[in-house]
Amino acid sequence: MITVKHLKKTFGDLEVLKDINVEIKQKEVVVVIGPSGSGKSTFLRCLNLIESVTDGTVTIDGQEITDKKMDINKLRAEVGMVFQQFNLFPHKTVLQNITLPMITVRKWKKQDAEAKAMELLAKVGLQDKASVYPDSLSGGQKQRVAIARALGMEPKIMLFDEPTSALDPEMVGEVLEVMKQLAKEGMTMVVVTHEMGFAREVGDRVIFMDDGYVVEENEPIALFQNPQHERTKAFLSKVL
Amino acid sequence: MDFRFEIITEYMPFFLEGMMLTILLSVVGVLVGCILGFFIALGKMSPVLLIRFPFTWYINFLRGTPLLVQLFLFHYAVLPALLGDTTAVTSVIVTLSLNSSAYVAEIFRAGLQSIDKGQSEAAHSLGMNKFQVMRYVLLPQAFKRSIPPLGNEFIVLLKDSSLGAMIAAPELLYWGRAAASQYLRVWEPYLMVALIYLVLTLSLTYLLNYLERRFDVK
Repeated sequence: MITVKHLKKTFGDLEVLKDINVEIKQKEVVVVIGPSGSGKSTFLRCLNLIESVTDGTVTIDGQEITDKKMDINKLRAEVGMVFQQFNLFPHKTVLQNITLPMITVRKWKKQDAEAKAMELLAKVGLQDKASVYPDSLSGGQKQRVAIARALGMEPKIMLFDEPTSALDPEMVGEVLEVMKQLAKEGMTMVVVTHEMGFAREVGDRVIFMDDGYVVEENEPIALFQNPQHERTKAFLSKVL
Repeated sequence: MDFRFEIITEYMPFFLEGMMLTILLSVVGVLVGCILGFFIALGKMSPVLLIRFPFTWYINFLRGTPLLVQLFLFHYAVLPALLGDTTAVTSVIVTLSLNSSAYVAEIFRAGLQSIDKGQSEAAHSLGMNKFQVMRYVLLPQAFKRSIPPLGNEFIVLLKDSSLGAMIAAPELLYWGRAAASQYLRVWEPYLMVALIYLVLTLSLTYLLNYLERRFDVK
C-alpha cells in the first residue's frame, strides 16, 4: 500500500531523514517510535507531502506521489492526517469542521455531508457537540473531532502524528479507544506515538527510528522483549 | 474674548457639505484601499523574489513618503500625465486609496502570518487546494484579527483626508479655511472643524467597537 524507497529529507544543512526504506501493507497498523529529533514526525509528514521530499520515492496505492506531475491534492484527500495540536478550524463549528472538506474537496451536497458528519460524530461519541465551536471542547474531544474530520474524506490510510502527546493523561484513553476501533475496522494506519501500550496492543509492527534511520522493525512483542540493536535497547529501557 | 457664533452659523451648511465629502473620501479610500491592499499583501508574501520585489517597493514608497507629497505628486504630475486632466476630488481619492492600500496590505499580511501554520497544514492534509485553504480557512481568521488595526487605519485616513484642503478639494478643512480667510478669524472656524472631526472619529470608534463585539474578536 505504501512503499518508501531511499527517502531523504534535509532542512538546510540538517539531514533529518537519511535513507528510509519502509513497506506498509493494506490494513496494517504500523507504530513508529523513537527519541525526539529522530525524524519520525518528519517521516510521517512526507507520506502526504505536507513536508516536501528532498530525495527518494514514496509510492501509495501504486502511484508515485513524489512524482512532480502527481495531483497532490487528490492524493492528500485519500490520506487522512491527525496532528498533535488537533488543528481544528476555530471559526467553524464542530459539524462545519467535518463538512468543510467534504463539501469543498469531495463536492458533496451539504445535507449529505451533514448526515455523514453526524454519523462520524456518533462514532467518536460526540454527536451532542455538533453545533459548538472547538474552543469549548476538551483536548480529548478536539482530537476525536479531528479524527472524525479526517475520516469524512473516506481515506484509505490514516496518519497519526503523536495524537495523544498534547493531552492531559485522563484524556489519552478516549482517543486511543477511537483509534483502536479504527484499527479493528481494518484501516491502514501509521502512528507516531509514545504510547507503548497502544503499540503493543494494536500495532502489527513497530518501527524504531533514530538519527534519521530506521534502526529496527519487528512485531511489537518481539521488538519490545528482544530488541536487537543497542540503540533500541537504550531507548526502550528509558520508556518501558 | 468675543466668540462670533454667527460665523459658525453662517458657514454651517458648508461645513456639513464638507463633512459629507470628508466621509465620502474616507469611505472610498478605505474600501479601495482594502481591495488593493489584499492583493498587495498576497504579492508581498509571494515566495518568488521577482514577484515580491515590486510589491515591497510599492509599500516602501507609499509608507515612506509624506502623504502631502504624494497628493501633490498625483494631483499636479501623475494624474494629469495619465488622464490629461484631474479634479481635486479625484486626486484625493486616488492618493488616499493608494496610500491606505499600502498600510492595509501590511495589516492583512500580519493577520495572515499570525495564523498558526497547523491550520493550513490541516486544510492541505484534507485535500484542499491553495485557493480553498485561503478562502475557507486562513482569510476568515485573518480578517477577524485585522478588524482592530483596520479600524485604526480608517480613523487615520479620515483625519488625513483633511490634506485635500491643500489642493482645494472642498472637504471639511477647506471650508474652515474659507471661513477663516473671509472673516480673518481663526478660533471659530478651526474649533468648529476640529469638533466635527472629533464627532466623526468618535462615532467611528464606537462603530468599530460594536463590530469587534459582533465578530467576537479576541
